[in-house]
Amino acid sequence: MIKNKLLKTALLAIPIFIGVCLLSFGTFYSYWNTASADKTCASCHEIQKSVHSQSMSTHRDLKCKECHGTALSNGFHSLEEKGMMVVNHVLKIKTEDIHMNEEQVLGVMDNCKRCHTSEFAKWTSGGHSADYKAIFTNKKHNSTEQMNFDCLRCHGMFNNGTVEELVEPLNRKGPWHLKDDKEMAARPTIPCLACHQVHQDGLTKKNPDYSNPKSIFYHKDSSKSNLTFYDRHEKMNFSVSDLPKLTLWEGKRAVKVSDDLLMRNCVQCHAPNATHQAGTSDDRTPRGVHKGLSCMACHDTHSNDARNSCIKCHPAISNCKLDVIKMNTTYADAKSPNNIHFVSCTDCHDGKQQQKLNLSNKIIKLYR
Amino acid sequence: MENRHVNAIIVGAGAGGGVVAKELSVAGLSVVLFERGAWATYDDIDTDELNSQRAHALSNGYGPDNVRNKRVKIYPDGSSKIVLPTEAYSNNAACVGSGTVSYGAMAWRYMQEDFKLRTTYGHVEGSTLEDWPISYEDLEPCYEKAEWELGVAGDDSQNPFAPPRNKPQPMPPFSHNKEAQMLHDAALRLGFHPFPIPMLRNSVPYGGRPACYRMRTCAGFACPVSAKAGTHNTVIPIALESGNCELRINSVVSEIIVNDQGKITGIYYFDANNKKQKQTADIVIIAASATETPRLLLNSKSKFFPKGIGNENDWVGRNLQGHAYTGAFGIFNEDVFDDLGPGASVAICDFSHHNKGIMGGGMLANEFIRMPYLFSDIRPPGAARWGAEHKDFQRKNFKKVAQVIGPYQEHPVFDARIDVDPLVKDFWGIPVARLSGFRHEKDVEGCKFMSEKAELWLKEAGAIYTWQNVGGGKGLSGGQHQAGTCRMGNDPKTSVTDKWGRVHSVPNLFIADGSLHVNNGGFNPALTIMALGYRVGGYIAGEWSKGNRFK
Amino acid sequence: MENSKKISRRKFLSLSLLGVGGVALISLNPFSKSTSSNWRFFTNDEGVLVDALAEQIIPTDESMGARDAGATNFIDKQLMGPYIRYQETYRKGLKAIQETCKTNFKKSFEALEWEEQTKFLQSMEAGKIEGSNWEKGFDKEFFELIRSHTMQSFYGSPRHGGNKNNVSYKMMRLDYPVIIGQNRYKV
Repeated sequence: MIKNKLLKTALLAIPIFIGVCLLSFGTFYSYWNTASADKTCASCHEIQKSVHSQSMSTHRDLKCKECHGTALSNGFHSLEEKGMMVVNHVLKIKTEDIHMNEEQVLGVMDNCKRCHTSEFAKWTSGGHSADYKAIFTNKKHNSTEQMNFDCLRCHGMFNNGTVEELVEPLNRKGPWHLKDDKEMAARPTIPCLACHQVHQDGLTKKNPDYSNPKSIFYHKDSSKSNLTFYDRHEKMNFSVSDLPKLTLWEGKRAVKVSDDLLMRNCVQCHAPNATHQAGTSDDRTPRGVHKGLSCMACHDTHSNDARNSCIKCHPAISNCKLDVIKMNTTYADAKSPNNIHFVSCTDCHDGKQQQKLNLSNKIIKLYR
Repeated sequence: MENRHVNAIIVGAGAGGGVVAKELSVAGLSVVLFERGAWATYDDIDTDELNSQRAHALSNGYGPDNVRNKRVKIYPDGSSKIVLPTEAYSNNAACVGSGTVSYGAMAWRYMQEDFKLRTTYGHVEGSTLEDWPISYEDLEPCYEKAEWELGVAGDDSQNPFAPPRNKPQPMPPFSHNKEAQMLHDAALRLGFHPFPIPMLRNSVPYGGRPACYRMRTCAGFACPVSAKAGTHNTVIPIALESGNCELRINSVVSEIIVNDQGKITGIYYFDANNKKQKQTADIVIIAASATETPRLLLNSKSKFFPKGIGNENDWVGRNLQGHAYTGAFGIFNEDVFDDLGPGASVAICDFSHHNKGIMGGGMLANEFIRMPYLFSDIRPPGAARWGAEHKDFQRKNFKKVAQVIGPYQEHPVFDARIDVDPLVKDFWGIPVARLSGFRHEKDVEGCKFMSEKAELWLKEAGAIYTWQNVGGGKGLSGGQHQAGTCRMGNDPKTSVTDKWGRVHSVPNLFIADGSLHVNNGGFNPALTIMALGYRVGGYIAGEWSKGNRFK
Repeated sequence: MENSKKISRRKFLSLSLLGVGGVALISLNPFSKSTSSNWRFFTNDEGVLVDALAEQIIPTDESMGARDAGATNFIDKQLMGPYIRYQETYRKGLKAIQETCKTNFKKSFEALEWEEQTKFLQSMEAGKIEGSNWEKGFDKEFFELIRSHTMQSFYGSPRHGGNKNNVSYKMMRLDYPVIIGQNRYKV
């Protein structure tokens, strides 16, 4: 009898207990995910800084969970992650310098593209979406240049490991393959967060107040940019305004480089070698007739497409009487001698007849 | 499980030990190479100055760590202090390759006179200055091997004081940066003989590794492209590929085992899990640095060796040397810094020897790039050490200051020494090294002489304000160039090993690191330590193939 | 690496219930924030003092000074890490500075005029501070410690919590991150 009674009580108590648990957890869960971040996420001092920076950012209107998910949005994994944060907090385990791993960075990217569809599409169509397989198993590159730790500075800056853990063999003979081909091959090497930071300072875009001319865009402060560069060494994004402006030399003469802040991002990777001589290594800084132009004058920021950019400045038929739409340039033909990045006056005009066009037949042929 | 008996144990995978491991394993001996640290990678500290081996403020990026390691230092006034690896510890990196991972990679051969110091300069009161038991010519083939197997960029034909060589360096020298070019031109005007510093660094692809791309963070840091040659990316991989060498990392050797017959049979070590283990071998080679090698010998006491192995005449740990670095700074009107790393590239050997009034001398060169924190301590005498003026100096002069510096060849001093502390023990319970004594009083005269030349050189290059930083003060030497503590010699009464690096009293115990140096030359010692590795390793391998088992 | 992950998972399982409960407690406890310091090691008062000391060592001029560049954050962070061995020295030294200031000036250090602060630090540097808080040489020793740590915060890498926005590198016209390309062949 007693046994039965106990069993009955247990049978009743357990579901009630579970019910109460579920109910209280449910209440707590829904409270957590609806209340403002100040009352929830920011109550962990580890996260206060992030909540603060988010509240100053372009993305201030988004709730944390819209990018970071909830404790249940990603199954066991997110439950573990969130749980560990609490455990670490309670046990006072030092949680300095919280960094996202590459999987999380790619997870954030999935969130970016929910809203920024067009930018994502453009990025997909351009060179910066190249994946690990394309970059790290490229025969031409790998047989000419030995892969090394520094590759990851620009390709795979969020990679969790080292180049040794990524690809083998590390020599110039090959054949090369990714050690974890299944996981890594299709991963992009330059995800959104390489140049953007979700929490970066910025204003939300809204309709200008037309009654106040100062709110119209061309009156706004243009010296600030939301663009950032992710530095693998520091494991943090630097605003372009904190990045150095490129100094570039042609022999002993300084090359005029655009003051465009956005370009400071580009030159972090498209950089000359340590001598900073123009045209060395990956330097594509415009010089010659196009000196002083920013990369962005011709290239789309996300697709990097520069086709049809000439016509933005040059009339359809240029000063040189060339059809800028049809003319042969490097984007039409990699071997074209007419490299927009450094074509100079003297490529066409000889020194004596600076006023008058003096195209040799040979050059005319190359141009058309 | 008991470790398999091997032919040879090598303690320390640095400049000397790495080379010996390769020589022995390629010759067919089975080898276990012990390293107290782990493999280092560029990503460990990348460009972080505060964790670099040069500033070692927060940590020694490539070890040893502050938690498990310490030493005792006795100061000239008799006071003593426990010092951590980031402090006055006389540190060398603890990782595979040791200092050769993060060094500046200068690849100097010592000069003929360096091996004949006593003959050249005579006896100096208060110094144990002596000739080496080998000549430059004896070591020349080993230098050549080091230069070609690891890879050196340089051109000694531009240096009229360079010792004779059979073969040129394998790679062309590096081009100068702006500062070095100015100094090069100035040196010619002064009648000096400037030349590009030989470097264990690829100026062109070499040995399956790419060319240097000239980062500012080089000396004190690992190389991002592996262009800098250390034993970790050259000879140790060859040793491992031979199939005869096992590298045991995170393994701290605590004692040399002496059996009942007084014979050396192996070593005890603490493995990666801090468990005490035993490894036996036919031969033991110690290459643990000029501090750790004597510490290990002195910690290996037994009834056969009551004062420690090889220490019958109290010479183990004696004659600790490093280099008294000395030179001058100059402020220029315009930027001399063009960020073309690693900085040091022009040198002169005009004042290495035969200088009036002083013993020896040293090479002089422009200095490696000083990162911002290091630069914050570089000020003319009397200048503000903090506050607005200090900050302004940093802003205005960071790119305008050039430094010429050189390692003065110190007088060896018997009382400058390593022994073991009777009380203090490290994390594993091993008695720690104790550093005591001080430099010879004449070092400062040599330093003064060299600093004057450095200042003259900077002035000629156009410096508008110069000041000297004279080295060789009262303190104890040592540091990354530590050497001399198990000197080689022909007389067992005044040396620890014979001319092949074999400990006099023990047939199967060798030493193969800077401890062997009788004196330390007026140059960075890495290439000489490597050359000695080839000499000792080559000798053992040669004898072994003839059937000698060193019993 | 693999190993540590496994441990953390096991730890998670055993502690997850405690954790969920913990969140509820923390979030519902109205007093949870009232007593804590903004710093990891320093008290809020100490933080204000370290700000003032660091600012003296590297003052604001046309560019940010050490205070705004995060010197206190740097030192506070390192005191819970590599500089844990200096915790006591800081606690003792900061207290000694305030007590001496209160005895001599009836003010806390940060409330002193700029020149008075400078003079105070100069006498610390020279080892000339008197008082029972300063045993032989401690004034000098503590000054040197703060001086070098402030220099590290300002001139070291920003990853350690100082040198905000690369301020010192920009001031010194030093490219950071460094601009060096790698390709030695043409595509």
